[in-house]
Formats: sequence, structure tokens, C-alpha cells
Amino acid sequence: MPWGNYYIDSTEKGFRKNRRETSLGAFAYLTDEIILEIFGYLNVKELLTLCFTSQVLYCFASFEELWKQLTIRRFNGDWWWYGTWKLTYLKRSDPKYDADSFIKPAVNITHFYSDVLFQPFLYSSTEIDQFLGTETIDRRSNLSMDEFNSNYAAKNRPVIITDVVTQWPAFQKWSMKYLVEKYGDVSFRAEAIDIKLKNYVQYSTNTLDESPLYLFDKKFGEKCNGILEDFFVPEYFCQDFFNILGQDRPDFRYYPNSTSAWNAVIKGSKKWIMYPPDTLPPGVFTSAEGICRAGEMIFVPNGWWHTVINLEDSIAITQNFIGLHNLSNVLKFLREKPEQISGFSSDSWPSCKIIHETFCKTLQKVYPGLLEKLEPNNDSYKDNKSSIWEQIKKSDDAEKGFTFNFSNDE
Amino acid sequence: KVKLTSSEGTEFIIDRKVAEKSVLLKNMLEDVGESDMAIPLPNVTGPILNKVIDYCTHHQDDPFVSQEDDSKKVSDDIDDWDAEFCKVDQGTLFELILSANYLDIKPLLDLTCKTVANMIKGKTPDEIRKTFNIINDFTPEEEEHVRKENEWCEER
Repeated sequence: MPWGNYYIDSTEKGFRKNRRETSLGAFAYLTDEIILEIFGYLNVKELLTLCFTSQVLYCFASFEELWKQLTIRRFNGDWWWYGTWKLTYLKRSDPKYDADSFIKPAVNITHFYSDVLFQPFLYSSTEIDQFLGTETIDRRSNLSMDEFNSNYAAKNRPVIITDVVTQWPAFQKWSMKYLVEKYGDVSFRAEAIDIKLKNYVQYSTNTLDESPLYLFDKKFGEKCNGILEDFFVPEYFCQDFFNILGQDRPDFRYYPNSTSAWNAVIKGSKKWIMYPPDTLPPGVFTSAEGICRAGEMIFVPNGWWHTVINLEDSIAITQNFIGLHNLSNVLKFLREKPEQISGFSSDSWPSCKIIHETFCKTLQKVYPGLLEKLEPNNDSYKDNKSSIWEQIKKSDDAEKGFTFNFSNDE
Repeated sequence: KVKLTSSEGTEFIIDRKVAEKSVLLKNMLEDVGESDMAIPLPNVTGPILNKVIDYCTHHQDDPFVSQEDDSKKVSDDIDDWDAEFCKVDQGTLFELILSANYLDIKPLLDLTCKTVANMIKGKTPDEIRKTFNIINDFTPEEEEHVRKENEWCEER
């Protein structure tokens, strides 16, 4: 129970003293965070031994985050979810372990208060509906290319487009069930682990984690045969100046290198909360927010601060790109922050410092005159003697490399 | 030089470099600038502050380690000087943990937490209860349930 309950309980007649001192012994002297820090150094056998010592130590030694770390460290993504991380670990390490009979907690503990132990439960069980009312991001259909460019791209404003995803084959075909049937045995990246889709979906639909592992794999196109045929990039986002780098273009990862992006929801819904690039997120007030529902896609202009909450189990595709509207931003980023550049393969790009120069020279060749218009004072692209230039293939049909994510409600 | 006062008012004068092992003091000194005023540390007693200063003096030339990654945490990497430093009674050790936490001295917090973890390792539940003065408050039914649920088997 949280500490707040202590104030109410302690007014009751015959209130027994807070359990902490007796059940924790000397550990009661420390904070809950430090106790968990210490237990982080223990192995499975030692944690299980602690479970026998007292009611409160049983609670600490069963803390999910400890068991999550142990599970991931030992088994990576190779496990089947059994309701809690502790049971998942014990069942995985010993197939004979009767996990089902221990779903119900072993101890009934009263008069013990800990915000630290209570918080994960609070976070995973708080209803967020009351925070979802505001929708300030434009929602548009039948948006002409001109209108998109002048009202959103050029102004660097977000917009939710409601009539593109609905035309994708994916919108009809994809569901968790369909994807598991088709790609269930394919391993995907979920934060620090690689996990088969069927194991992930079983975990994500049943977990009570406050912040569940989030499946997000930039290589899903290569991993899933035929999946790229299930959707197409709409006209608004087709122009991508990184394509001129051909095979040496960076990953289409999530907003690196000051690019813009789109994110399309096929199942579920995602709540977006955004702030424009030149503000520091103030914390309480939001600048733009809205829910991107199944069948809709959001345009995420470059540089916008954002947080995204999956309101339910969601399937989504995302890609970043450079349109004409943010080309000069990207050039500035590549020029001024070479140390922050990401997603470029180190085989083709031995040093981040040459990326800006090479990109400029390639642009100059493919789109003559464009750079002079964008950056009249920058002349780094004018020296055409570099041999790197020769290595760059002038191909516009870059390999497809979208990002794709599954997630469950957070 | 930096002046500190412990909870009972004892004054300590130490090198700024030593004081800056504490992120709390480092930030404070940066904010306040040079000053003759003593910094009061009402949460730390004199004997404990003395120990903390010993530690910071010995480790003053160590490079600052930023937040380590989530890779396996080990507690058997304690060097001889640190092990000797931690040979204190349990009360002092726990006071050191709280002070390291309050003063934000990450390496000292890690060292003392590892030392406590090592006191748990290799012990039976009974020995753990005795070491840390813990009362077994399970009901007999609970104890049976917990035993079944947490039984150690060697494959694990």
C-alpha cells in the first residue's frame, strides 16, 4: 500500500505499528530505493532465500524489476510470459515448475507501506481517459499536395491524415493474429532483447508492467517476406532527399539527423503530445496534442518535441524523410552537429565529418542549382574532386527500410 | 578549502577537490562560489563525516564515472583498501550508505551496497534474520506456500 494509507490506518483503534521495523529489521533504516539497489547485486538463489525470511522481505525480493533484469540477462527474449517476471523466470529455468498455482500472491500483508513498491502497480492501473480530451492537431482528409506543402510542410506544423492508411492492404489484413500466424517465429528487437513475435504478443497482451517492453524494429522489412507490399508511402512524403545517397543512405530510423517523419497506425491508437522545436517543454501545458487512431497517419515535422502513449495494443509503421521543407534544416544539422549524426552505416561512412560534404556534392549533381537557392553562402559542395563522390551510386530507388512497431498500452 | 559542519556542529576543513567527490557539494560550491561560510550537513554525524572524508581523500584522483549501464552488477570487485574501509559495525555501514546517498557519492554508495549484498550472500534464511535482526512474521500457511513457490532447485 502507498504511504498515504498509513495516515488513515494509523487513526484506527488498535493500530499495530507499521510493519517496516520488525519485518525489515536493520534494513528499515535504509530507504526502499537503496534496499532494491542492494538486492540488485543478488542472484536468483539469494533472492529466493530472502523470500523466506519475512513478509516484507518477500515483497522486496519479489520486486518485478529485479526479476525482469535477471530474466533478460540470462534468457534474452527466449521465454514465455507467465504473468509476472518472477514466475516467467522460474518457469523458464525449470519447466517442471508449477507457475500456474502461484499466480495468486503467497502472503497477505497488512500494515506495510511503500510508495516505491506500490508505484509500478499505480502506473499500470491508472486510467488515462481523463487526460485525453484535448485534440489540437488538425485532422484532414482529401488534402491536396499544394495544401499539405503550404499549410503543414512549409510551416513545419503537424497534421493527422485520415484517408491514406485506410487504402493500404495492411489496414484490411493486419491484426495481431494475422501477423503472429505469418511472422510468429521471426525475432524482433524489443528494447534490449530479441524476441519472437508470438512470444512478444503473448507477453504484451498479458503483462501488467508499468512500462512494458516495446517492440520497435527498423529491419522489419528485411525480416518479413512480402510485408512491404502491404503499404505504400503517400505522395506527401515521397520526396526524400536522402535517397540520392542510394545504398549509402542512413537508416529510416526514428527522427535522426533533424529529419521529419510520419507514423501510421494500423491497429490501436496512439496519443501524441508535441511541442514546437524552439520551446523547452514546460511540463504541464501542451502545445499540440491529438490521438492518431487506426487508419490514420500523423505528419511529425522536424524538431518537434514529442511523447507518444499507446492507448491500447497498437501496430504502426513509421519512417523519417527529408522533404524540400526541411532540407536546409538537415543540411545545417549535418554541418554543425556531425557528432550527433546517426543511422549511417560505418562501412560506407568511415567518418561522420564527410557526410555533409558528400551529401551536398551529390545534391548539387542530382538537383543542380537547389543548394544555391537554399544556402547561398555555403560553398563546401563546389569542390568536385573528392573521390568519395565517385563511390556514391546515383540511384533514386533506395532500398526500403521502414520502421515498424508493436506496442501495448502503457 | 571548504568548510563543512556535521550534525553536532563539528567543523571539518577539506580540499575543494575532495569535497567535489560529492555531487551535492560540487553543485552547491558551483552555485555559491568561493565563501568562508561553512556548509551545514545536518544529516551526517561527525564520525560518519570523518569516514566519508577518508574515502573521498583516498579516491580523490579517481576519474568520475558516469551512470553505468545495466550490465550485470557484480559485488566481488572490491579492492583491498575499500574492503578494509568497510570493516565497520553494521550501524556505521548503514549510516555510510545513507550519507553516500545524501551527499551523492556514487562510488561510495555502490561500495557500501555491495558490502551489504555480500553480507546476504551464502546465508540461510535463519542466518539472514539473525544478521539483520528480522522477525519471521509469516503465518504457518504462508510459510508453506512461500516454500513451495520459492523452492530452490539446482538447475536455476
